[in-house]
Parts: sequence; structure tokens; C-alpha cells
Amino acid sequence: MTVHRPFPRFTRRSLLKGTGAAFAGLVLSPRFAMAEEEKKLSFYNYDTYIGETTLDDFNKATGIEVKLDLFADGDELFTKLKAGNPGYDVIVPTSNVVERMVKANMLMPLDHAKIPNMKNIDPSFLNPTFDPGRKYSLPYQWGTVGIGYRKSKVEGAPDSWKWLLDDEKYAGRIALLGDQEHAIGAALKYLGFSYNSTNIDELNKARDLLIKGKKLVKKYADDNGQDLLAQGEVDLTMEYNGDIAQVMTEDDDLSYVIPKEGSNVWEDTIAIPTGAPHPENAHAFINYIFDGEVGKGITKTIMYATPNAAAKALMDEAYQNNPAIFPPADVLAKCEYSAYLGEEAVKVRDEIWTAIQAA
Amino acid sequence: MAALLKPGQGPLDYGKRRWLRAVFVAVLVMLYTPILVLIAYSFNIQNRGGIWKGFTLENYAKAWHNSDLMSALLNSLSIAFISTIFATVIGAMVAVLLWRFRFPGKAAYEGAMALPIVIPEICMGVAMLLFYARTGMMTGMTHLPWPLNLGTPSPSPTSPCFPFVAVVVRSRLVGFNRQLEEASKDLGASEWQTFTRILIPYMMPGLVAGALLAFTLSLDDFVITFFTSGPETVTFPVKIYSMVKTGVKYEVNAASTILIVITIVATVIAMKLQAPDKAGH
Amino acid sequence: MEDWKTNRNVFWTLATPGTLWLIAFFLVPLAFLFVLSFSSKAMIDGQISINQYDYFSGLTNYLRSFNPDIVSIFIRTLWWSALATLACLIIAYPIAFGICFAPDRWRPLLLMLIVLPFWINLLIRTYALMAVLRDNGLVNSALGAVGLGPLPLMNNTFGVIFGLVYVYMPFMVLPLYATIERLDKSFLEASLDLGGTQFQTFRNITLPLTMPGIVTGVVLVFIPCLGTFLTSELLGGTSSWMIGNVIQSQFGPANDWPFGSALSLLLMYATFAVLAVRAFLSRNSKGVDV
Repeated sequence: MTVHRPFPRFTRRSLLKGTGAAFAGLVLSPRFAMAEEEKKLSFYNYDTYIGETTLDDFNKATGIEVKLDLFADGDELFTKLKAGNPGYDVIVPTSNVVERMVKANMLMPLDHAKIPNMKNIDPSFLNPTFDPGRKYSLPYQWGTVGIGYRKSKVEGAPDSWKWLLDDEKYAGRIALLGDQEHAIGAALKYLGFSYNSTNIDELNKARDLLIKGKKLVKKYADDNGQDLLAQGEVDLTMEYNGDIAQVMTEDDDLSYVIPKEGSNVWEDTIAIPTGAPHPENAHAFINYIFDGEVGKGITKTIMYATPNAAAKALMDEAYQNNPAIFPPADVLAKCEYSAYLGEEAVKVRDEIWTAIQAA
Repeated sequence: MAALLKPGQGPLDYGKRRWLRAVFVAVLVMLYTPILVLIAYSFNIQNRGGIWKGFTLENYAKAWHNSDLMSALLNSLSIAFISTIFATVIGAMVAVLLWRFRFPGKAAYEGAMALPIVIPEICMGVAMLLFYARTGMMTGMTHLPWPLNLGTPSPSPTSPCFPFVAVVVRSRLVGFNRQLEEASKDLGASEWQTFTRILIPYMMPGLVAGALLAFTLSLDDFVITFFTSGPETVTFPVKIYSMVKTGVKYEVNAASTILIVITIVATVIAMKLQAPDKAGH
Repeated sequence: MEDWKTNRNVFWTLATPGTLWLIAFFLVPLAFLFVLSFSSKAMIDGQISINQYDYFSGLTNYLRSFNPDIVSIFIRTLWWSALATLACLIIAYPIAFGICFAPDRWRPLLLMLIVLPFWINLLIRTYALMAVLRDNGLVNSALGAVGLGPLPLMNNTFGVIFGLVYVYMPFMVLPLYATIERLDKSFLEASLDLGGTQFQTFRNITLPLTMPGIVTGVVLVFIPCLGTFLTSELLGGTSSWMIGNVIQSQFGPANDWPFGSALSLLLMYATFAVLAVRAFLSRNSKGVDV
């Protein structure tokens, strides 16, 4: 049966496309009219992980308005961007997340020519295994995972993971980081294995240790162990060094130590996700951050170790010589970076973590 | 039993029973203590130890100058408002439909309508995420100017809300005397007149309760928006979540207090608006 | 009830918006979830892909769900949700009853007092609760002042269940209030006049007549409890994962969306089973229309 169509046939798809295009044209046209990008930037970061005035200063210097959005952990960042970038320009993924995102084509290559302040970066950071040649990411801050503790409640320095994982003495006064990477990693380290082990026997031993140690632990904390420590809810907590350094400035009774078995050393990077609406502004922002004075402003607020050599040189000696921030070389030598181990390894670790939670 | 009654207390004066009052007061204490503590701490000097350090208004200044926090608050209220309207209208229509008509496949239809209630929020959140990602709405809508960009997060809370409204309204309709409706039509009223003059006034308590529930649910919605929000459409809970997870901030208490005050003022206004209406009955 | 054919215009007017909305913003997204649950991550160049999928590749995700760890977390979820729902019912019934029998002018205010806290966001309320329940929080400080405690009020099972009750009680109070308010008080008077005790009246008259409200309340509380992950994360201890936490972890750290989809759908099916039991029971009860 043939039907005479007096009008051109609209399929639903073409109709949708047409309306969409018209709509987009309506909304986007002012952008194209301008010679350059609109003066906007969307920055996706952890909370309290930028200088107090950095974003305002950047706005004053360039006229670009920065919209700050926060994520709680690297997995949240990854999940959000996996479904398509909803409009972020600059993000702060950890080294292993960078590796994973690069594999999934989720990061935009950086144009080093637009970031002259790269010269301020300590050269030892310029060729890491997770991003050879720094094609996709630049180092933002780095640090370690260790044990924060209350000196008056703990006898001596808890210089071993044993204190948290395998010792009844402080049962119920302990918090561990509540994610599989670090909780399992610490158990592996205590047992003498690698933080990044994929050996199933080793992982099972770590699992058994953590299950046995559950009665010691009060809480698997979400990166707020420092607050539990400051509030007196726990006396020992596994945490990132900068978080402990921040609460140490308020409370003299707190301290931080890296266990003698070794631990995790991490690097948070700064990168541009695929599909970023304002890549030019993003480059300008990244360049701005690596300025010496700007870097100093950031470091003064967040108290992490900066790979920005110019910024470090501008800081006072108390910072430069703080062992909680810059651990001695021999301690650091025993620490490992978390590597991206592939999806299969992620699955195995997740099953172990679920088993620990179920027990 | 009578021995337990005080003079002047009838057997049905349950409202005067001491034990019932005691339960009521105990529940109120349980409900309000945490909130009052939260408000009190919004005036505390910032410290991580969670102890009282002294009175200050600084947290409010900080919250006020935190433009991201403020825009998140505005987004949350706008989304709750939009989705409450949608949820109440659609929910009420579904309730009347199911109450009034017999039709083939009704049981299945009812089941489908109950789906959004039974599905865990987290599934809904991810389903919406997949949906927006696949249809390109995730990257398309979020660049639109405000409030059009609220188009992505707004439908999310509405979907679980409108069946709730339908449930509440329908349980109200069960007690409706259909003869009233027939009488209205016998007297020459049109379908529309009967609907607006007879049915809607009868449904009103159900509608109000349903709308309140929808508004609560929308403001409450964290999980779904968490998955579907972009940089310009972050809602208050999502913002709070990321702030709370990384440490104690009384700025959060201050902003929450503002939201609580807005809520209470809105409630009082709503009650005042309803009052003359009540007297008219 | 009339047949839909008697008044087609009205029928379609009422039916269209809800149906379209349900399809566009609910069934279609759900279909994505359904498809993904039968999929697995694609193999590309001998490596498991991070964000590509093989669609309709089998039942692997469902088989994995019968792992004993997942099953025990599932049972924990059902048990805790039931406890929280029961606690809600026990607390909410006298509250709703009290409000209904309060003087007319007090009623809206009392209802508002109970409902008002629930207008405050779940996350904010949970956050507020944490400050009260922790070891050095208000309750334990008060106990400490009289030489008691500290009691472990959070970071354990009690914390999670208390949190659930605190957060979901309005869903119980509102439908109970709606039915009790509609209750024909003359039945109660008749029962009492005819020599029934208060308890007999409650058991034989009030309770059966308010059963629709109870059932609605139970369903409205039990179901969100099943999908909990925030309360268990924030107020729970080291053995507090509920099925929602497992699902969240699949969409977060584990990056196994297909498995997460399968778990979500299983959770949904479990809920359907609960509803089916409820429907069966109410059919066998004495014709109480819900």
C-alpha cells in the first residue's frame, strides 16, 4: 500500500534532531559570536583542597569565573565522568585514577605549550609510570597514608600496622580508611606483601586478617578519621597525612607516623576531562596554579606536600622540614604508589571487601 | 478502666491520657534534640573537636559568601517546588483514575504505578544516569541557562513522588460517598464542575498531605540527584554530602539552619493560607 | 466503580499524563538497567574494558549474586528493615492516635510538630543525629554527668536502626493519621457502651478498621529501608553494610555496573515478593479495602 505524502516525511529521529539543533543554536549562538571562550570554568575538586582565595584571585587576574563542585572520593569522580562529562573543565584525579581514565579515553591531552609554569614543577615528578611524559596530568599535591594518634592515650608511637590490625590493646578505639584500596593495602603491607598485590593467596590472608581484626575497629571511616580523632571518638586512625596535619595545628596532643612496614604514597594530579567545554580556560587555570606565589597560597591552606618547587621554596622552614609532610627518604623508600591493576584485579578486591563487610 | 479516668474525661478522650501525652513528648524530644543541637552548633566557633568554643555569627557569613553553597540551596528549593507540582497533579489524576474506573489490565497498571515506590532509590539513580547518558541529555541539558538546566535533575525526584501522592489521595478517596457525585451530575453539573466543586474539595486533605510528602521526598532526594547532577545543578544535599564526608564544618550547620527556617516559615504560611478555607467548610 | 468505556474522554484525560511520565522517566530508564544486568564488561585486546559492554552475554551477574557474602548481607537488610518498620509502627500508632483524638484546634499543630523534622533533609538529619549519638555527644555527656555510660549508640546495629526509625517515621504517621481520622468514632462508643473493655475495643474494632493505614505505613517505611545506604554508612559500624551499600560500591569503587544492575533488580524482585504476600493477605482478610 502506498500512501501519498504531501509533506516531507518527518521521522521521529529527524524531528528530535531538528528541534535539538534549533534549541542548541538558540542557546549557544552567543558563544560562537564571541572570539574566545566565555569567561567561565568548572572545577571539580575535593573539599578544602584549594587555597582560600585562589579562585577569587584567578578571577581578578583573568576575569574567568570559577565554579567549584566537590566530590568525596576518586571513585565518585570516576563514576560521574564515565557516563559523559556533564560540563567539568578541570578535575583532580589520583594517580591510579588517571591511569584508568586514560585507558578509558576520559582525559584530554594537555598542551604543554600553554602551561609555561610547568618549569616550576620539581623534575622528579615529570615522568611517572602512570602517565609517561605527563601527557594527561600534572602533579597537584602528594602525600602518604599513615597512622594519626592521640599521644596521651597511646603508649609510645604506633609505628606498625600491628597497632591497628592485630593488637587487642586499643580495641574499639581504632578507625581504618573505609575503602578497599587502603584497608586491604595496609593489611598486605603488614603481612609483608605489596600494596598492589594481585596474588590471590596474599589477598586472602589480608582478608582473614581484616575479618579477625573487625572487633578492634570502631569504624571504617570515609576520609574523616581526623575528625573522629579530634573529637576523641578514636585514639588511632589510618589517614592521609595532610588531614592529620590540619588537625594537629588545632590540637597539640595529636601526631602522625608512617608504619615501619611501609605504606602508601600517593599523588593527586590536575587534568582536563574529555568533553570539557572550556579547554582554553582550563589550561590558563592550570598554568596559574603552578605559579610560585599561587602555589604557596594553596599549600598554606591545605598543608600537603607540593610538587611545585617554586612554591615550596617560598614556604617557611617549619613546612619544608616537617617530617609529617616530607617524610625522610628511607621511610619513603618503603612506600608504594597505588597502581591501576586492571578491571579483573578490581573485581577480586571488591569481592574481598564485600566478604569483610558481610562477616 | 473507669478508675484510670480523671473526672470529666470521657472514654474516648484519648488525647487526655497521661501515657499518650508522655509518649508524644518523648517522641518530640527525640525528634527535636538533634536538630536543636545542629542549630546551636551553627553559632559555635569552628573547631574539629566538636566542643563548644563560643558564640559567633561567622559561620553564617561564611555560608552566605559561599556562592556554590547558596546556589545549591536555590537549586534544591527550585527542584523540590517544580517536582511537587508535577507529582501532585499527576498523582491525583492517577488516584482518581484508579479509584473511579474499571478497565482491562488494571491490576498490571496498578503494579506498574507502584513500581517507582518499590524501586530502591539507588537503582533509580543509576537508571536515570544511564538514561541521560544514552539520550545525550546529560551533556546536552546541563549547559542550558538556569532554570532550564534543572530539566535533568527535576524529573528524577518526581518519578518516585507521584505514586506516593496517588497512594495518599486514593486512601482518602476510599471514604468518598459516590452519591454526592451522582447528585451533582443529576442537578446538571458538568463532569468538570463536579470534579472541581465536589471531588477536589473532598480530596483536599489528601492532596495537601500528598504534596507535603512529595515536597519532603524531593528535598530529601540525595541519591538520584547525586547521579544526575552536573556542575551547574548541584543540589544542597549533594553539596552537604561532599562537605560532611571530609570533615566537620559549622558552615554546613549554618546553611542547614537557614533551610530549616525557610521550611518553617513556608509551613506557617501554608497553614495560615489554609485556615480561612477550613472555616468555610 | 464504572467501566472505562462509559466515559472515555475523562478516562483518557486522567490516564495520559501519568502513563506517559511513567514510560519516559521510569520504564525506559529501567529498561536500560534490565539490559545492563544481563551484560558483562567487554574484552578488548585481551583486557577487560573499563566502559564498554557485551550486551546480553548471560546470567553471570545473577549467579554471582548467590555468593554467600551477598546472601548474608541481603538477609541482614531484610531483618534490619523489619525491625525498623516494627519500631516505627509501635511509636507512630499512639502518636497518630493521640493527634486524632486531640482537640480540633490543636490537631494541625500537633501533626505539624511531628512532620516538621521530616521536611529537613535526610542527610542533614543524619548528620545532626551523629552529633548527638557519638561517644562524646550530647546523650553520652548527659549520662556521664550522672555517672553513667558512655553507651555505644552509634557505629553499630543500634545506630543504624535508630537512624532508620528517626528518618522514616513520618511515612508511618501520615497514613495512620489519615485512616484513624476517618475512623467512625461511633463504632468505638458502641463497643464501649456494650461493655467492651478499652483493650477489646482496640483489638476488635480499632485495629481491624485501621489496618489499611497500617499496611500502607508498613509498606512506605519498609521499602525505603531496604534500599538504605546512607544511614548504614554514616551510623553503622564495621558490620553494617546493607544491600544498598553493595550496590553503591558496584557503581562506585568496583566499577561493575552490570553486577550492580543485577543486584538492584534482585532487590526490586524481593520487594515485589513482599508486596505479593501483602496482597494475598489482604485478599484473605475480611474485605478491608486498601
